[in-house]
Amino acid sequence: MHDTIHHAAATDPAKQLQPTRRGIMIGAVAAPIIIGAAGEASGQAPGALGADAVAVRISVNGTQHDLLLDPRTSLLDLLRERLDLTGAKKGCDHGQCGACTVHLDGARVASCLTMAVQAVGRRVGTIEGVSAATGALHPMQQAFIDHDALQCGYCTPGQIMAAIACVQEGHATSPEQIREYMSGNICRCGAYVGIVAAIADAAPKMQAG
Amino acid sequence: MTTNTFPDVARIDAHDKVRGATRYASDDSRPGMLHATLACATIGRGSIQSIDTSAARALRGVRLVLTHAELSRLQPAGFLLAGGYGVQSLQPLTSPNIAYFGQPIALVVAETLEVALQAAALIRTAYAVEPHQMGLDAPEADIVAQQESPLPKPMFEDVHVGDADAVFAQAAVQIDATYASAVQHHNPMELLATVAEWSEGRLTIHEGTQNAEGVRHGVARQLGIPAEQVRVISPQVGGGFGQKNSLQGQTVLAAFAARALGHSVKLVVRRSQLFHASSFRAATRHRIRLGADHGGTMLAAIHETDAQTSRHDLFPSVNAEVSARLHGIANFRARERLVRTDTQTPGYMRAPFEHMACFAFESAVDELAQALGQDPVALRLANDTQRDPVTGKPLSSRHLAECLRRGAARFGWARRSMAPGSMQDAEGQLIGWGVAAGAYKAATAPAVARLRVYDDGTALASVGVHEMGQGIRTALAAALSRKLGIEPDQITLDIGDTNSTPQHITVGSWGTATAVPAAVEAADAMLSALAELLPGDAAGRSPAEILRAAGRRSLDVAIRRKAPGQPDAVFTRLATGLPAPLGPNYPDFVSFSYIAHFVEVRVEPTTRRIRVPRVVSVADCGRVISPRTAASQVRGGVVWGIGAALREASEVDPRYGGFLNADLADYVLPVNADIGDIEVEFIDRADPLVNAMGIKGLGEVAMVGVAAAIANAVHHATGIRLRDLPIRIEHLM
Repeated sequence: MHDTIHHAAATDPAKQLQPTRRGIMIGAVAAPIIIGAAGEASGQAPGALGADAVAVRISVNGTQHDLLLDPRTSLLDLLRERLDLTGAKKGCDHGQCGACTVHLDGARVASCLTMAVQAVGRRVGTIEGVSAATGALHPMQQAFIDHDALQCGYCTPGQIMAAIACVQEGHATSPEQIREYMSGNICRCGAYVGIVAAIADAAPKMQAG
Repeated sequence: MTTNTFPDVARIDAHDKVRGATRYASDDSRPGMLHATLACATIGRGSIQSIDTSAARALRGVRLVLTHAELSRLQPAGFLLAGGYGVQSLQPLTSPNIAYFGQPIALVVAETLEVALQAAALIRTAYAVEPHQMGLDAPEADIVAQQESPLPKPMFEDVHVGDADAVFAQAAVQIDATYASAVQHHNPMELLATVAEWSEGRLTIHEGTQNAEGVRHGVARQLGIPAEQVRVISPQVGGGFGQKNSLQGQTVLAAFAARALGHSVKLVVRRSQLFHASSFRAATRHRIRLGADHGGTMLAAIHETDAQTSRHDLFPSVNAEVSARLHGIANFRARERLVRTDTQTPGYMRAPFEHMACFAFESAVDELAQALGQDPVALRLANDTQRDPVTGKPLSSRHLAECLRRGAARFGWARRSMAPGSMQDAEGQLIGWGVAAGAYKAATAPAVARLRVYDDGTALASVGVHEMGQGIRTALAAALSRKLGIEPDQITLDIGDTNSTPQHITVGSWGTATAVPAAVEAADAMLSALAELLPGDAAGRSPAEILRAAGRRSLDVAIRRKAPGQPDAVFTRLATGLPAPLGPNYPDFVSFSYIAHFVEVRVEPTTRRIRVPRVVSVADCGRVISPRTAASQVRGGVVWGIGAALREASEVDPRYGGFLNADLADYVLPVNADIGDIEVEFIDRADPLVNAMGIKGLGEVAMVGVAAAIANAVHHATGIRLRDLPIRIEHLM
């Protein structure tokens, strides 16, 4: 009484009908100007790269990186797996949780939904670049400590990058507005009360600084 | 015996966390590491007839593809609840049998993550499909009465005190209602991830786990190597909530692949796969019968539950452990049944039984208050007890009445009008105020603590416990600092590493009550040892001053500690990675933590949207060691209660099995805009019996009762009694 059926193993069971990242990428890759491999490549250049590899120069926290990339690489995976900038976290890889939030030309983006090649010619900012060179914390980082706006800390870098952008966007003028504009960043530990308090505290200090 | 209150200080590891400097397991990105990913079954039950991995293997950059053909010789690690180490007895990839949708069927290892993902999508599988069933309305053959099951007694015996049936039948006021809950998933932000590396025959595993020792011994057993050759490191867990309490299915796969390839391997379980890769909160149904006299004395209660388990394991159900203890009810009978479903084995998720047991019971108490025309706070106060209703033993401490009184005062409960639907705000929104109580066992596990002080004023402490955001590092540093006179930031805490001390599973809210008294005992031993270094001359000197005066660079002490009444055999269990907790039933007393939640909801009159603008929670967890992180933990528990009551449900797919909404867009978690003010207060009174520090537990009791308080508030706002969770706007239409 067995039926035999054939299908592809679901590598992502709930999402079988979604376009693949390669499918999405085709539209995106045409736009950026790919800079030829110049200078010394930084990060590991995986041996799996074939003829599809693209050479790019990407600026992260003010440092230029010349890289040979699989064009399917997300900005998040580039930061984490190639550049050892692991502050941005993978919580869903679908742009649903906000743990991977970084700044692209100063605006917050989900780096898991941003192809690395989209960052060519633009400024990428991560949590590792938020503190001053002296080591002094950014007012938002200090406010997160002061209001205990975190528990496990896994979503925290994304929360802070989103929070800084939230203030810069002018979306931190009331607790209600902060709650609304911070709702793309999930904190499963439930530190939301502290996060709102921290942003309300840091916002005037950021403007003063 | 008792200790003074502790000051409000910042979380000790927050400075690293706000800089993104804290390294979680998947943050390991060393050059040359290989990337692994899983492919999973797409049928609800059956077996693999053939699996074609040729296209995956042919892809440039793919280094290894594993299926059950390669892994069938792995030894079983056993189920955590049956004397083993695993999240379930079933280890994926060891047989062609498919027990549930989403069960991993292949592992792909490649030089980059992109190639691994592409290769996994190229695997083709033919299945023989068998029928599956996912719900509580199962055939009789799939329903197991726990009392008659092989599960060990008395641990999993149905609670039976007095003659509940006879007394209920005679009771002047009777409540008889059934409450239910959907499947829910933990979804900590950190994905399950294992980095495995071999060096000279020794295996090191980096994995965010609440049970490093269990993972170590479990993997060793699976691979057939001595546990001494395995080290598991879990210094920071990116949220656990019970999901990471045992050996997961992916760990041995990463270890096996790393050994086969001679390279370190990183395996991250994707979010969608997590809904089937680890455990979940079982769907449950609770029938509560509660009898009282006209004056409001609760005379008898009967609590019958059906809870989901898997076809391959019995996940025990202990709902009445807490519902029988909430109030002083002399006659109580429970019946717990398990229903076999074609899923992975469900497991512990924050307040695993207590959340739903108290949702059901505290809703029933609210229904009783309504039937009696009594205030629900006054009804609970009138049924308080200082003696354990189940065993007759004294309670080590119970300040639930004070939690209720202080919470009512802080919330402004006296201004509540009794009639449902009688309170509105200026915009016409319906206002509802609800209350509920919660309790959670105060358990204790054995621990080994080691302490070393140096002549430069620093210290190194090691004890068995894991940091997953609850703040245990902050609590340990605070308690050691007070004892030793060494600043918290001068104390290095070596926890979550099996190379230091045995790392007992950190769950069940026993982490602080286990690790902090052990660390403080080690500090006491250290002070004695230091005094012996300078007989008669140590008083008034710091540890570093004593060491320098004695010409010593450092000094070591070690102690071991167990729960009151435990035999020494628990240290063998501790050393072999097996759970060894005791509580709430100690030889001479019974110990619980308590909480009272007061909730305001506002219901929009046309859309029926429910908001929770404010919550007041007052907790009795014994002595609070780290007030700031403890308050955060309670707020987190309240957020969990809001999610459980109003948002979270894993939707079952009756056609193909598994859970449909397996991502963070469709599995709706509370976000910032869902949360209003949450005020937290602690009784902060040391428990006189359970340990020398007076610590009970907090992480889970924080959530217990929140959902009932919300549902009771919704009833107060609308007059509609909702007994199924989660509550959605359509239920108020």
